[in-house]
Amino acid sequence: MGAIREWFQRLWGTFRETPEDAAMEEELALHLEMAADDWQRRGLTREEAIHQARLQAGGVAQAMEQRRDQRGLPWLGDLLQDARFGARMLRRAPLVTAVALVTLTLAIGANSAIFSLVDPLLFRDLPVREPASLVEFTFQFPRDPPLNMFSLASYERYRDGNHVFSDVFGLAPLTTQSRTGDEPIGTEVVTGNFFQALGVRPALGRLLEPSDDRPGAPAVAVVSWQYWQNRFSGDARVLGASIDIEDTRMPVPMYATVVGVAERGFSGVVVAYRPDVWSSLATVPDAVRSRASFALIARLRPGASIEQARAEMRVLDRARIEELSKRDPQWLGVAIDVAPARTGLSTALHQQFGGPLFVLMMMVGGVLLLACVNIGGLLLARGAARQHEMAVRVSLGAGRFRIVRQVLTESLLLASIGGILGITGARVGATILMRMMISGTRAPGPTPSLDIPLDARVVGFTIGVTVMAALLFGLVPAIAAFVSAPAPALRQAIGAPPRARRVAGNGLVIAQVAISVALLSVSQLSIAHLRHLRDQSLGFDRDRVLLLSVNSSRAQTPARALALYRDIVPRLKAIPGVRAVATSGITPIAPAAASRFLQAEGFDEPAQDRRRAAMNWVSPNYFATYGTPLLAGRDFRDTDFGLPRRVIVNQTVARHYFAGRDPIGRHVWLENEREPYEIVGVAGDAKYHEVRDAAPPTVYVLAANSGGSTEFSLRTDVSPAAVAADARRVVTEVLGDDSVRRVTTLAEQVDAAIVPERLLAILGGFLGASGALLAAIGLYGLLAYTVARRTKEIGVRMALGATRGDVVRMMLKQALLLVLTGVGLGLPAAFWSERLTAMMVEHLAAGGIVPIVVGASALLAVGLLAAYGPVRRATRVEPIAALRAE
Amino acid sequence: MANRESKTDVLQGTLDILILQTLASLGPSHGYAIAARVEKVSNGRMQINMGTLYPGLMRLEQRRAIRGSWGTTDNNRKARFYDLTPAGRKQLELGKREWNRTVGIMQALLSEPK
Repeated sequence: MGAIREWFQRLWGTFRETPEDAAMEEELALHLEMAADDWQRRGLTREEAIHQARLQAGGVAQAMEQRRDQRGLPWLGDLLQDARFGARMLRRAPLVTAVALVTLTLAIGANSAIFSLVDPLLFRDLPVREPASLVEFTFQFPRDPPLNMFSLASYERYRDGNHVFSDVFGLAPLTTQSRTGDEPIGTEVVTGNFFQALGVRPALGRLLEPSDDRPGAPAVAVVSWQYWQNRFSGDARVLGASIDIEDTRMPVPMYATVVGVAERGFSGVVVAYRPDVWSSLATVPDAVRSRASFALIARLRPGASIEQARAEMRVLDRARIEELSKRDPQWLGVAIDVAPARTGLSTALHQQFGGPLFVLMMMVGGVLLLACVNIGGLLLARGAARQHEMAVRVSLGAGRFRIVRQVLTESLLLASIGGILGITGARVGATILMRMMISGTRAPGPTPSLDIPLDARVVGFTIGVTVMAALLFGLVPAIAAFVSAPAPALRQAIGAPPRARRVAGNGLVIAQVAISVALLSVSQLSIAHLRHLRDQSLGFDRDRVLLLSVNSSRAQTPARALALYRDIVPRLKAIPGVRAVATSGITPIAPAAASRFLQAEGFDEPAQDRRRAAMNWVSPNYFATYGTPLLAGRDFRDTDFGLPRRVIVNQTVARHYFAGRDPIGRHVWLENEREPYEIVGVAGDAKYHEVRDAAPPTVYVLAANSGGSTEFSLRTDVSPAAVAADARRVVTEVLGDDSVRRVTTLAEQVDAAIVPERLLAILGGFLGASGALLAAIGLYGLLAYTVARRTKEIGVRMALGATRGDVVRMMLKQALLLVLTGVGLGLPAAFWSERLTAMMVEHLAAGGIVPIVVGASALLAVGLLAAYGPVRRATRVEPIAALRAE
Repeated sequence: MANRESKTDVLQGTLDILILQTLASLGPSHGYAIAARVEKVSNGRMQINMGTLYPGLMRLEQRRAIRGSWGTTDNNRKARFYDLTPAGRKQLELGKREWNRTVGIMQALLSEPK
């Protein structure tokens, strides 16, 4: 307590300008006088007494100094002095300061923004007990992604039969709609041991317990701290309140009684999703519960390894899988596995954006490094101008470390301003980015919400980045200040800079070029990847197609569907600007998809090797509308309705099942259907559900609609938006007012599916361009400085007969040498970054040499552009004037 | 600077007790009185110079163990007088106890037969 008080007083004393010195001195003088009096009393003369007193009591000056140190915090005082001086220096060179600040704000802000998204998505541990021992279960059909979806029966088997987990628990998100009419409630149905296993404590009341899972137990729920605050204003009367829970799969809403509030800071175990309510199994009717899929999590027993858990899971469900595979041989290939879950259960947001964000994190790191090198160069150049000042300070007795500290304090001051501006900008940037990301997740289920708090981790990261940046860009000028020898510097105020400084300047420019090449190649790669996904190999023409999603539940019977089809389609086609109209059950690159196992005539394969084919139900003119070519056979015709079962298959089906034979007229069977379909046509391959995957084997069945929902697609000659109103009117006239669910364009739909890639391309492009700009500024600065420094030399050369061409050659040689060396050094870095990017972003193929060449040539062009000004100035040197100037 | 730190560090523990104890027995006193008293009690074996004493007084004041105020001496000179606060008394008690304990341990250790 006393020590804290002392420090507080001293902190206060540092900032306070005090009139106390005089009082202190007076006190000391009195002390000496009294001591002398004493000595005099003991028989010494006055003079001797004063001398003796001084000897014994020590010097006034030293005592004063020590007292002053005790009064304040000396190092803080020095720091403040350095900072004040630094601020003056920054103000004195406003242009340099402004450039450095803009660069720093951008670089630190970009790092902070990306980190605040990456951290909760990829790195942050769940705020629960020992998150490192948490694992999640997955099961995986061959050729499918792994899924954490299990039945309650599996949950019970794993929970009771394992030897490696101390807890197994599960949760199932409900698609809830609020009954009370206000905002929807995010609900998770969880097993009774959920909170116990995680080690979460209640903030109020009790949490769910294993006994809540007993048959006949009442339906109870726990609300999140956040929800308790927002909805119940933190009122304890939340206990006993009733919560309505509705799921699209449940026939009637259920009610659960709130028994508790979870502790603050716990917001569930799913990344980027924060439920409001956790309800017990009893809230869901038996029938729904047994069909629901649960995500399962387990906690490893102390000492158990994840390998042991893997081995355990392989045997744990063996018997049941063998049982299932008797009916469906596909099950033989199923793999059940466990994966670490310390950061929470991954979601679409996590899977889609993790890789691109990681790449962006690397890129902003690169930009920061580049910015530091750039500012280091700026300060170095200015350091040359300040050499005189430094030399004066050294000769006046400033220690070298004091000088270095001064330089570093200035860097830190600069970086801190950049950091503060940066973190402010980062908040805005991260929020915008998050909105973009969420618009791009199309997983079914609750909308993700990612919290981007200004928490200790983000602030700490930003401070860390700022300090690191300050040290990085302050390092070179600091070293330069450290080694600067005062005498020569004072003697020659102006003249050629020392060789070391020149080498450092060149090195910094080369480093900027090298980093910039790597950045530009990665941005090139991401832009090329986006272009590839966007325009090429789709198999359909994404432009000028209007999509109307129509609620057609009123048209259930085939006859009625056909009648409606015959009613609506001609009217849509009659709209001016519409070239072709088709209906389908599914549109390309939409959230919905369907697939069936396929068998083909004359193609024998073991049952477990059978593949699924993507399914679509289409009307005549579907292929014309989408611009997908028919390679053989014919399209469906209106007269095909009512005829025996016909299908069109895509090229992949034709190639795989009918290699070398003509598929037209042959038959295929779909899973769970006895009657075969006859193939009447072969269509070109087109992307189906996933724009990043190759076109899957696809079967198109003739249908006027497919119960529940029908998609109308209109190929237009004009902008699709121009016919949207007319098309909507036509459909509502026939089917009623709320029949149109969604109107969009095919281009928008495809774009919505590639938000991660768009994000990467846009931000990557921006970062790459910023990098190139910084490198150009660096090169320009160095060359301009060189010209200024060598004006006299150039004048002499020209006076001795050098032509302007010679001067241009000389200057360009220097510029090219720097850029080419940088490019050369940047190539391995670029190559490595490309490979890392390809590793992190799914479906992205490293582009090999092309993006690197593009990046390098872009930089060469930028370099020459930056050199233009200084070179021009060099050629304008008037020999006489230059010589006279000396 | 580092030099000063190590010097006061060595003395700090005892210096605080010396000052507090002196003030406890003398009552409100100025700096010289404290130094003179310590010297007298120690028979001149311990001398506190100003560079040690006054920062020490200031530190104790910052910790609110003593309170300083301006007054006049017997021969009517303006001087700063220091007095113990309740917190200072408590600190003195604790310091004494700690010191006695340390001395006891040291004695036991040093008088241990070889």
